[in-house]
Amino acid sequence: MGKVVLEVKDFSFRYRQTKRKALKNVSFQVEEGSFFCIIGANGSGKSTLCNALVGLIPHYFVGKMSGEVHVGDLKVEDSTIAQLSAEIGLVFQNPFNQLSYTAGTVAEELAYGLGNRGVSREVMKEKVEYVSRLMRIDHIIHKNPLELSGGQVQRVAFGSTFIMEPKILVLDECTTQLDPLGSEEIFDIVKSLNQKGITVIMVDHEMERVARCADKILVLDAGEVAAIDTPQNIFRDPEMLKHHIGIPDYVKVCQALKEKGYTRREAEIMEEPAIELVKEALTG
Amino acid sequence: MKIELKNMRHVYPTGDEALKGIDLVIEGTEPVAIIGQNGAGKTTIVKHFNGILRPTTGDVLINGESIANRSTASWSKEVGYVFQNPDDQLFLESVQKEFEFGPQRIGMPEKEIRERMEWVSELVGLKEKLDLHPFDLTSTEKKFCTIGAIIMMNPNALIFDEPTCGQDVEGNLRLRRIISELKEKGKLCITISHDMKFVVDNFKRVVVMCKGKVLLDGKTEEVFSQVETLKQSFVTPPPITKVAQGAGLKETVFTTEAFIEAFEACRKG
Repeated sequence: MGKVVLEVKDFSFRYRQTKRKALKNVSFQVEEGSFFCIIGANGSGKSTLCNALVGLIPHYFVGKMSGEVHVGDLKVEDSTIAQLSAEIGLVFQNPFNQLSYTAGTVAEELAYGLGNRGVSREVMKEKVEYVSRLMRIDHIIHKNPLELSGGQVQRVAFGSTFIMEPKILVLDECTTQLDPLGSEEIFDIVKSLNQKGITVIMVDHEMERVARCADKILVLDAGEVAAIDTPQNIFRDPEMLKHHIGIPDYVKVCQALKEKGYTRREAEIMEEPAIELVKEALTG
Repeated sequence: MKIELKNMRHVYPTGDEALKGIDLVIEGTEPVAIIGQNGAGKTTIVKHFNGILRPTTGDVLINGESIANRSTASWSKEVGYVFQNPDDQLFLESVQKEFEFGPQRIGMPEKEIRERMEWVSELVGLKEKLDLHPFDLTSTEKKFCTIGAIIMMNPNALIFDEPTCGQDVEGNLRLRRIISELKEKGKLCITISHDMKFVVDNFKRVVVMCKGKVLLDGKTEEVFSQVETLKQSFVTPPPITKVAQGAGLKETVFTTEAFIEAFEACRKG
């Protein structure tokens, strides 16, 4: 097991004015450089968990909390958002909630966090240029963020988190406004960041993508951890369906072939291996 | 219900030509999906179906009548448009008020409004949340609130702009029920979506848009069998279809059952 960069210990949280706990006794660890996915139905607590990892709980959202979250050497509860931002950054589900609403241009929006950190103008300029090219928003850098399409705002939101160079990136369904090609572009960037050693924690409904990216998957069901395991073990286990999660289409096809006796192999969770399995079953 | 577009172009005030000569007929009650990349013109085209946008040249006919003849408010009784971003549509202080607003404006009797409220709030899953402020709903509930508000007005055609975005398994099933129930009631449903699994599960006809034009229009199976043409619009078939295509199965399949059938046919042949 590699170095643990994030640890959640017996964490529970209830929002003020609600009766039900949003998270119940959640515990898990994330290893440095891994790609960790969180899945579960709407309302299962995924976004709440993201908020707890980056310190928005308890520093911004009020409620009843117990347990601990540790990011690197920091205990989230006892650290400031500024301290945490060097370690961990969140890309919001709704990018419009992430905008500062004080920046007049995309460039200013991207530089906003750096300004708070006291970074020099030259370094700021360099970083804004680099990130805007990477996110393919360099052509709209002088536009007002409020004039952009949903997909463009999502790219700006991603850029303004990434520009802070956190060691851990938390992505809460960060491509819902983008078309499939745009989403793939973003995920290619995420994957390359992950390959460079950045730890990624991702919430996503697209199970084919989760199967392709994840080292580990955490399944949340009504605020509780239902399972933590590898994508193979999660998606091959028929018991998992009762936690209201989807499974990749590839698994369904492979399992149907197995039931009919056309293959003996375990279900594949990704496209290429699934095609190979089908081809083998055709000639077998 | 019949919506007809005749050599229709739309040029935005900025000079961008969003639609470059569209000929399209949508008729009857069979749900239609419109797909394509961001910026292909999907939202621009559907905003012409009830006159939110007007064609720069060419014509849009609703049941044979030119869209130019009436105001958008008047067309909204015929064709309802559910906005892509719920926050663009919701503005009242409770779900119930959102549901009442449109019908009251078009003079629907109170008794009918109450009856529809029963059915619609159940259909969109907000029966227990009618008293809530729309801003206290989750993002997916907000989407269902906007859908409910439009169904309340009882239009003959409904347009859903990206209803699948952010939906989980259960949300997609609810959308499926909504679309099939509207069809049963003789309504035409036109839906923009990026979610290809959702598209093949719910629609027999698909219109693919690309750079302001209709690239493909036809039966779902036929559209997704044209892999090369689809690439131009950056649309990829759903995962199960790609596996079948990748393994060399001849049929274009969308379900596990159809996959097994095509597999068995190929194995024998």
